[in-house]
Amino acid sequence: MNALRKLSFSVMLILCLTFAVPPAAFGDSSYRGYIYNNLEDTPLSINGYLYLDSFDGLTTSAGALNGPEDIFVAEDDTLYIVESGNHRVIHIDRNNQVLGVFGDAEGDGKLNGPKGVYVTADGDVYVADTLNRRIAVFAKDRKFKKQFGVPDSPLLGKDFVYAPSKLIVDKRGYLFVVSDGAIGGLMQIKPDGTFAGFFGANHVGFDWTRTIVKLIATKEQKEQMASVRPPEFSNVYQDSSGFIYTTTLGIEMNQIKRLSAVGVDTLNGKSENWYGDWYMPSKNDQFLISAFVDATVGKTGLITALDQTTGRLFQYDKLGNLLFIFGGIGQQDGLFKTPTSVAQTSDGMIYVADRTRNRIDRFYTTPFADLVHEASALYVDGRYNDSLGPWNEVLRMNSNYDLAYYAIGKAQFRQQKYKEAMESFKMAHAQGAYSDALFEYRRVYVKEHFGELMTALISLFVIIRLFIAAVRRKWFARLASLRKGPGKELERNEHA
Amino acid sequence: MNMLRSIRGSLLHPLDFFYDIQFDNRARLRNAVIIVAIAIFSKTLVSLLTGFSFNDKGAYQISVFNEALWIVLPWLTWSVSNWAVGAIVDGEGKFKHILISSAYVFIPYILFNIPFSIISNVLTHKELPFIFLLDYGSTAWMLFILLVTVKVLHDFELGKTIWVTLLSLFGVLLIWFVCIMIFGLVNQSVQFLVDLYKEISYRS
Repeated sequence: MNALRKLSFSVMLILCLTFAVPPAAFGDSSYRGYIYNNLEDTPLSINGYLYLDSFDGLTTSAGALNGPEDIFVAEDDTLYIVESGNHRVIHIDRNNQVLGVFGDAEGDGKLNGPKGVYVTADGDVYVADTLNRRIAVFAKDRKFKKQFGVPDSPLLGKDFVYAPSKLIVDKRGYLFVVSDGAIGGLMQIKPDGTFAGFFGANHVGFDWTRTIVKLIATKEQKEQMASVRPPEFSNVYQDSSGFIYTTTLGIEMNQIKRLSAVGVDTLNGKSENWYGDWYMPSKNDQFLISAFVDATVGKTGLITALDQTTGRLFQYDKLGNLLFIFGGIGQQDGLFKTPTSVAQTSDGMIYVADRTRNRIDRFYTTPFADLVHEASALYVDGRYNDSLGPWNEVLRMNSNYDLAYYAIGKAQFRQQKYKEAMESFKMAHAQGAYSDALFEYRRVYVKEHFGELMTALISLFVIIRLFIAAVRRKWFARLASLRKGPGKELERNEHA
Repeated sequence: MNMLRSIRGSLLHPLDFFYDIQFDNRARLRNAVIIVAIAIFSKTLVSLLTGFSFNDKGAYQISVFNEALWIVLPWLTWSVSNWAVGAIVDGEGKFKHILISSAYVFIPYILFNIPFSIISNVLTHKELPFIFLLDYGSTAWMLFILLVTVKVLHDFELGKTIWVTLLSLFGVLLIWFVCIMIFGLVNQSVQFLVDLYKEISYRS
């Protein structure tokens, strides 16, 4: 009896202990942190961003969200959320308190399926009123101010359909509008509403298959083939220093661009960079391609881009180095169904809108991400020596982080520790940088050991000369013996 | 010693050497196998020794089997293809002689690449032209020996030699293509039979 009681007590104790500990420990995530290294492997990495909470509007005076398409974070860190389902824009603060609703009143300001919003420094709210084919402008006090209708220009062509979906307003008051299906680039609209031309157009690259098909196909076949169109922009973002970032659909390289004032891509330059996942899921025996639908840029130039295909967010530094991957498609918190927009407040919190789930998810940075961001900010500014400490700490936490090895190598190179730099670049699998470090190391080595090297070289030369002389003497001796009498070599020649 | 002499002969007097090899039972399969084995060994060694500037393969990524495949397969398929093409266009070469002679093609590769892979540890990308020169040099020498074997063994003149070499290279590609295709077809038919068996066993 006593034994039974003891047993039941211990069972109870175990049960109590099991349920006392929460099933999911703090920091557990619905997605697995990983990163790409220079070997195109995907080693595990510590998560940079974790799910915090969601906002669905249910408990607010504005009611439930319906089809959130775009989030805009104003300079005072308040959020403007465009709902295409509710045909309105709601303005909320950091604590999810509704500050105002735009475009739901009857009248000129009534919105119809809006998809994008931009708020200027003086508080004017520009809404891409997609189904009404206009840009509606509201004043701070939510009164309808004016509108930009369909731009009229011979440049646009006869068949042009205006469907403004995203926009920004630059410091001059020019509008840069993404119109769905417009292949010419961003539409520049002057403050007075006239069309000022396309900006930063994508181009159709060279393609072998297409060229060969064109050569072979008959005229009728050519007519049946779909004409190749340049890829269209999906979104546009303006950072605090006025750079315009774009995301493009339907291509596998350079999906994210940073355009200068004259429309030149300064993020990728002339090179072709891969953004998003390298290993993509496949459907019907075809690999899917990334669909970047939005990007947001932080104070230090960190680019966080959203890929709708995999539902993942990719964070890059100012130079385009991958820092973090998080999110995904799924049911759990932290995963999405149809993510549409990403935005970032000044404290680094990331907001993602989900059109199907009708909510805004919030992600916070982990201590590891804070460390990487600190190191990265110093690194992209070229302050390699200052970044050494944080990068070493990054490696202590995560030895799979190749960028840290590379950055440390850069710092060592600048400190003229070429041997150490070579080791670091080797760890980062950076052959070009390794070769540069080796060049410097070799130069210094030859300078320091000039005497020894010359001695070795001269003695090697002498030894080779002596060896050749010895071999020659032997051959001459053999030749002489052959002349004296028929040897084996001559016999062989007789067969021929 | 016999081995070393034959290597020297193939490098310095290839015309005489490959002519002589056809007579008196001088062609030794043993020598050919040894050369191919050394070629495999040196290819593996090259992968291991080459400086990081030119090769970022870790030791764990190198498989001797894989390296061997890239030596043995070209050697065997070339021999078969060259023998077959030669037989059609009135070449005189015997399969055994072709097989043994074409193994000697690997000798410049062995001689050039091991020293180069050691030197490459102190070379940087700034010396790329020098590296290309060495690389093209060894390839050209190998090609020269290959042409000589075709010319001497089949007793062709120069134009026909080049034509037959090109045809044989095409034949090599054809053999590989057919092998891959047969593999694919066999794979599919086996899969079909397995599926058929499964279907029947589920229904009964």
